[in-house]
Amino acid sequence: MKSNTLIAITAMAALTGMAHGGTIHGKVSGVSGESVVYVEAVASKTFPAPSQQVTMDQKGLMFVPHILAVQQGTTVQFLNSDSVAHNVFWISISGNKKLGHNLGTWPKGQKQAFKFDNPGVVPLLCNVHPEMAGYIIVSPTPYFAETDRSGEYKIENVPDGAYTVTAWHEGAKNKSNPVNVAGDTTADFTLSK
Amino acid sequence: MHCRRLLKSTIAFGTILAVLVFATIIAVPPYSSYAIPAFSRLYGTSCTTCHLDFPKLNDFGKAFKDAGFKFPKDDESFLKAPPIMLGAPAQAELWPHTVYPGVIPGLLPVGLRYNTYFQKVSANRDNFNLVLAPGTIGTFIPKTDFQPGYFSIFSAGNFGSDIAFWVDDDISVAGANVNGSLGDGYLRFHNLSRLIKLPKDSLTLRVGQFEVELPVSQARTWNLSGWDIFSQANIGVQNGLTPVQNVNNTFALEDVVEGVEFSGGHLTRGYHYSVAIVDQNTSGTMVSPPNIDPQNGVAFYSDANFKDIYARFVYRFNLEKDPVSRADVQAAGPTGPHDHTYISFGTLYYYGRSVQRQTGVLSDGVTPSVLTAREPFYRVGGDINFNYRTLNLFGMYLVGHDENLLPFTPTGAGGPTGFVAGPAATFSGGFIEADYLALPWIMAIMRWDQVKSTADRVNFIEYNPASPPPSSFFSPYSATRNRFTPGIQFLIHANIKTSFEYQFRPQQIVYNPATGVPITKAFRTNTAVLGLEFAY
Repeated sequence: MKSNTLIAITAMAALTGMAHGGTIHGKVSGVSGESVVYVEAVASKTFPAPSQQVTMDQKGLMFVPHILAVQQGTTVQFLNSDSVAHNVFWISISGNKKLGHNLGTWPKGQKQAFKFDNPGVVPLLCNVHPEMAGYIIVSPTPYFAETDRSGEYKIENVPDGAYTVTAWHEGAKNKSNPVNVAGDTTADFTLSK
Repeated sequence: MHCRRLLKSTIAFGTILAVLVFATIIAVPPYSSYAIPAFSRLYGTSCTTCHLDFPKLNDFGKAFKDAGFKFPKDDESFLKAPPIMLGAPAQAELWPHTVYPGVIPGLLPVGLRYNTYFQKVSANRDNFNLVLAPGTIGTFIPKTDFQPGYFSIFSAGNFGSDIAFWVDDDISVAGANVNGSLGDGYLRFHNLSRLIKLPKDSLTLRVGQFEVELPVSQARTWNLSGWDIFSQANIGVQNGLTPVQNVNNTFALEDVVEGVEFSGGHLTRGYHYSVAIVDQNTSGTMVSPPNIDPQNGVAFYSDANFKDIYARFVYRFNLEKDPVSRADVQAAGPTGPHDHTYISFGTLYYYGRSVQRQTGVLSDGVTPSVLTAREPFYRVGGDINFNYRTLNLFGMYLVGHDENLLPFTPTGAGGPTGFVAGPAATFSGGFIEADYLALPWIMAIMRWDQVKSTADRVNFIEYNPASPPPSSFFSPYSATRNRFTPGIQFLIHANIKTSFEYQFRPQQIVYNPATGVPITKAFRTNTAVLGLEFAY
């Protein structure tokens, strides 16, 4: 009991050392276009849900942005900016069909909110326009970033410590690597379809 | 539509009759249909945005068509390929001192379509050879047959304004190159009503060649076989053993027509009307004056100064409870979009004159002359269309009536000198169809067609053995022909479809041509048809 308490105190001290936060940066290769890189859940560490809401728009028969990364617990506003009706639904979150949901259909200018309490990949679809597809990547931690078109990314303010970092890309297999963050740390990923 | 030119030629009447009836009633060829992948490219959207089961339009597709082949609102915001400017918009301020600005699509809006079929005919098909003498080669109807269909090219769109266009042409039919013809080809000037201070969309002008605004389009039917009533001509009794009618009206409502059309309203709500003034093409006599060289691009196919008139009016009541959904282009609910729950009532009327020309004499009873009878005819019908979510029930009833002007030969005259009225040639019929969209990619269909034509029956009961029609594959058991056609269609992709239908054909019977005595019991030559088509 005493040793467990010491371990927990040590871990928390390491994870909460924000003032000494490091940076994870690198490149996602093997695929083209934007990817998302995020730090997987940290044992016995929770993060408060962000109060700021973000918007996923439907405009020009497309989800805008095509890929949206948010922290677990974030409320996303689904806006319809088109002059045609749109629907938003997803059949699963990271393959878990129990988490599938249909938000319904609504006309231009209206929006629906949904709070994503479960981490994972949310493949968005519209049952009015079957060609429409978008993704919300719900990160279990506040440490995530979207890459640029060349695959470069940077996650800032990550406390030093040992983590599992995952890279996601549309249509590719996820890849998770252990990363020891100590200041400025490099973590590259090579993904494949 | 595609046999139009054929019908205009001056082939013998008996051949016309037999070929027409054979082609339109028995052969029931797979119909052409069109979906417009070019629009998918322009807007970056799926075929299912506009089609339920292509080419059947959903409410959004109807609104897209209503608007001139563009999105009803904010069209430019949906275009994925920017249009090419044909003049800065500010040029409009100089009009008429400069060409009015316009645009052409950023992508050439051209689509291709191909289909192929397999059909199986029941064993009764051989009954028609019973009348042949031993050793005679009869009409061979294979039990099974693979059949190439249409290879078509089509284009449609708008010029960035309220001017839309459509052209479709069958490049190849049944595997024979360039055997098809122009289907529809027209320009449509939308919303002319704004120029004369009328309500928006209350007046649109269409000019060119087109199918008249039928309750459901025969040219763009989603069924493998068309609706029988739309292909029904009115020939009149020609069997010499009964009083003969002088009616040879090959016109069918499915024919494309050339002319102008004024229309207005919407196909998705409220009223919609169409009034067309079109060339008269009803006698089967092609007229191309010798002083006009068709190679120069001008030929005359009409045979009279008179123009036919077509009128249609339909009113649609949207029955969605939610006022917002009721007013929207496409109704939407928590489970997704759907076509409105609606009911519509419509009526149509076609009036024309069928020209019959024949050799006769002047009133002196001697001098040779060509006598011309212009026989007024009309088609009048009503239709209903009810939709509840994914279930669509619709049907129509139509009556055809042709005045019958019989040649009159006074005593002692060397031929007819004029015409007297005889009993009119009439037919009636219609159809009822139920379409159920079980899944977005599966549609089940049940259809019943009926055509009642005494002339069709009489003409084939006892034809002249010395001059039989080219096929005996038609002999209706009664004046009323019923056809039940269940079917099912699958979308393999949004632009690839396989269709199946089983045609419970009209009852038929074979008569001894010499005695008129039936030599078979009533039977049906049912046919199973499997089709595969794609648009690209």
